[in-house]
Amino acid sequence: MNINNVDLTNCDREPIHIPGKIQSHGFMLVVNSESFLITYISENLSGFLSSHVKSLLGLPVAEFEKLEEFGSSNLQLAALLKLGGAQQSFETINPYPLQINGKHYYLIISLSGAEYILEFEPITMEYDIQNQIGKSVSAILSGKNVNALLENTAREVRDIIHYDRVMIYKFLEDGHGEVIAEVKNDDLESFYGLHYPASDIPKQARELYKLNFTRIIADVNSLSSPILTLNEEKPLDLTNSVLRAVSPIHIQYLKNMGVESSFSISLLSHGELWGLVACHNYSPKFIDYKAREAAKLIGKIVSSALEYREEEEESSQQNNYQEALHALTLGLNKDGDMLNTLTAQEYTLNDIISSTGVAVLFEGQISTKGIVPGEEQLRALFKWLKKTMDDTIYYTHSLPEVYHAAREYKAVGSGIVASIISRDMEEMIVWFKPEQITTINWAGDPNKPAVKGEDGLLNLSPRHSFETFAEMVENTSVKWRKAEIANVIKIREKIITAINKKAGEIRLLNERLKKAYEELDTFSYTISHDLRTPLTSIKSYTELVIATNKSLDEQGKKMLGRVVAGADKMAFLINEILKLARVGRAEVDFEPIDMGHLIEEISREVISSLNAAHVNVKLGELPTIMGAQPLITQVFTNLIGNAVKYSAASVNPEVMIEGKIAGDEVIYKVSDNGIGIEVDHHDKVYELFKRMDNVKEYEGTGVGLAIVKRIVEKHKARIWFESELKVGTVFYIAFKK
Amino acid sequence: MSPDIFYVEDDPDFAFIMQYAVKEVKEDLTVGIVEDGNTAIAHLQRFAEEKHRPKLILLDLNLPGISGLDVLKRIKEIPFFKYVPVILFSTSDDPKDVKSSLEIGANAFMTKPNGYNNLIVCMQSLYDFWFNQNRSIN
Repeated sequence: MNINNVDLTNCDREPIHIPGKIQSHGFMLVVNSESFLITYISENLSGFLSSHVKSLLGLPVAEFEKLEEFGSSNLQLAALLKLGGAQQSFETINPYPLQINGKHYYLIISLSGAEYILEFEPITMEYDIQNQIGKSVSAILSGKNVNALLENTAREVRDIIHYDRVMIYKFLEDGHGEVIAEVKNDDLESFYGLHYPASDIPKQARELYKLNFTRIIADVNSLSSPILTLNEEKPLDLTNSVLRAVSPIHIQYLKNMGVESSFSISLLSHGELWGLVACHNYSPKFIDYKAREAAKLIGKIVSSALEYREEEEESSQQNNYQEALHALTLGLNKDGDMLNTLTAQEYTLNDIISSTGVAVLFEGQISTKGIVPGEEQLRALFKWLKKTMDDTIYYTHSLPEVYHAAREYKAVGSGIVASIISRDMEEMIVWFKPEQITTINWAGDPNKPAVKGEDGLLNLSPRHSFETFAEMVENTSVKWRKAEIANVIKIREKIITAINKKAGEIRLLNERLKKAYEELDTFSYTISHDLRTPLTSIKSYTELVIATNKSLDEQGKKMLGRVVAGADKMAFLINEILKLARVGRAEVDFEPIDMGHLIEEISREVISSLNAAHVNVKLGELPTIMGAQPLITQVFTNLIGNAVKYSAASVNPEVMIEGKIAGDEVIYKVSDNGIGIEVDHHDKVYELFKRMDNVKEYEGTGVGLAIVKRIVEKHKARIWFESELKVGTVFYIAFKK
Repeated sequence: MSPDIFYVEDDPDFAFIMQYAVKEVKEDLTVGIVEDGNTAIAHLQRFAEEKHRPKLILLDLNLPGISGLDVLKRIKEIPFFKYVPVILFSTSDDPKDVKSSLEIGANAFMTKPNGYNNLIVCMQSLYDFWFNQNRSIN
């Protein structure tokens, strides 16, 4: 591959591990692990050694050792390589100090397939760094939280490598990065809080950061040195090389920032690249191998501290969630109002995940806690979710992107978790999270990564200016974690269990109520029945005494007459109750009823028994209905009886009975121009023994309409009425056809 | 001798009042009263053997031991009483009771009237119908 063909569109595919070049502050020699012959050398080797480079290729490594530049020192390279090869690691050997022309160098050996890479770089640090590391590590770890830990790290790293700027750069969920800590020279502009697009550090670069924990670019302006070989077919893999040349894109990137040297330390958490310690220097600055190793050690220590601290923070968070979950579960297991339990106690649904608000739709009522959208917005969202959700749980961190109506309240609910409790009952819970960052400072405008220019290399430049652009990262919230979704699933199960338990209790109660109701019917039937016999005795004996006892005076007869009247009234009441109880016990056998005949007969009977021949009873259409004749007879006897009774005193009293077919119903209507029913009493007229104020002077028990209602219910029909005081009343009954 | 009216009634109060009411209808009308079904059947069998036939049988529906309806069945099995009117006499006005009584062969079903005065009216009309107008039956 010709590296000059790299541009921004293929920069993700650039093979940066085989650049075919190295940085020129050191030189390289590659030896085959089996033959110990020299297979590659860097062209700049001749600058460090006087030997003619070409002549070394293909020669045994021992020939290299014999070069006069090494003086009298006995390098024993073959022995070193064999030792490292046997250990499969050169960690204990690196760095190996040696002298070339009297100058001090480190030899750093690494593996690349079947080749040993030998790299030589100058020693620039005279003192031992060991003490400083110990001090730095304890200073770093004194940080009480993650942020303090990172601040300390930046400061201590700068003390070791003396670069102009040291930043801690953290990768966020979508791969873009943010500068979260910074130590720099006072004259430099701060990068703190800047965000960098994900494309700034491409994927394969991230993989390399996971393999090589440190990386130095000593001077962006120095020319890289090509690697020479006799075998052109096989490019050398420089993954583990310390001198590996830098991608021209990255060089341009750094040049645009005015950076001349760059150094980075990888920060890993759970095997993933968590972030980088990114160091910039505005003039060329090489860092001694030992200082780089110290930085690497610090990176490793910080990584594990990060892992631990983050886990600690996460687990304490999760503990809080669990505590809330536990409290809610306890509440659900107790009797009481479900909504109150979930949203109005010490712990609420808002405490089991990182939501900022929660809304519950239960039995048509909305209850909320925390910051949530308005009621109408909520209702619309519930409706949309019900239609959209296939599963019982749905979550997103960018609701406004999928549901445009949510743009109105993105500041409150860019992220949601929804859980349907019951689809049929339209019951659900929705948790909300705000938009993550309304405004962030981008380092350059990420919407324009490639600026077309005349210069080929400048074209590659992600951006020329690092002034901050305000970029709206719209419509997204922080992502929901797996543990949070698990909590939502858990609470949903608990709620459903509680609902089912309650439903079971209600079913049981209903059955007991039904049984009690039946018993009550039987009871009222029996008691009424049994009461009639002694009552008859009272009346009969009293009448017998009045009829046969000659010694009774008028006063005595009158008083005994009151006993008879009382007994009569009681007998009437008992009969009414008996009728009501009988309705409850009756089985309804639906048969067609000839209403014309029935209503005529009832009307005649009612008029005669109430002595109301002056009431004009008019009959309209009387279509056949389905019902139990004895019961329907009672209904109309009561309704027509009431109509006649309460209109009898009106001027031109008139009662009208008619029925008509309306859809799948037959609606009967009994209207009168009588005294009417007061509006306040509309819902009480069907109550047992309830009599309105304006009928106190009329005979009656307050059982009639209760019987009517029960019969209507038994027929699965509907009853209602319209009335106005002193104008009249209309009763309607809609029978099923 | 059998009474004119044979009355099966377990309620002594009603039985007591009935005696007065019957006398009120006609001074020399006789009424024989037993308190339960088994005694009633025993009496009736003796009447049959002695060829004494009451002119009217009144049966209360709810009786201790065997019910009024059972007594009715037994009466209908005795050919000697084939043409004696049997009237069911009960506090109940349940259509079911009425229906089954008539099916078994009761000649009428009467709801017990409420009070002494009503009872006299009731007995008067019974007497008029079954003793006078339908004299041919007896």
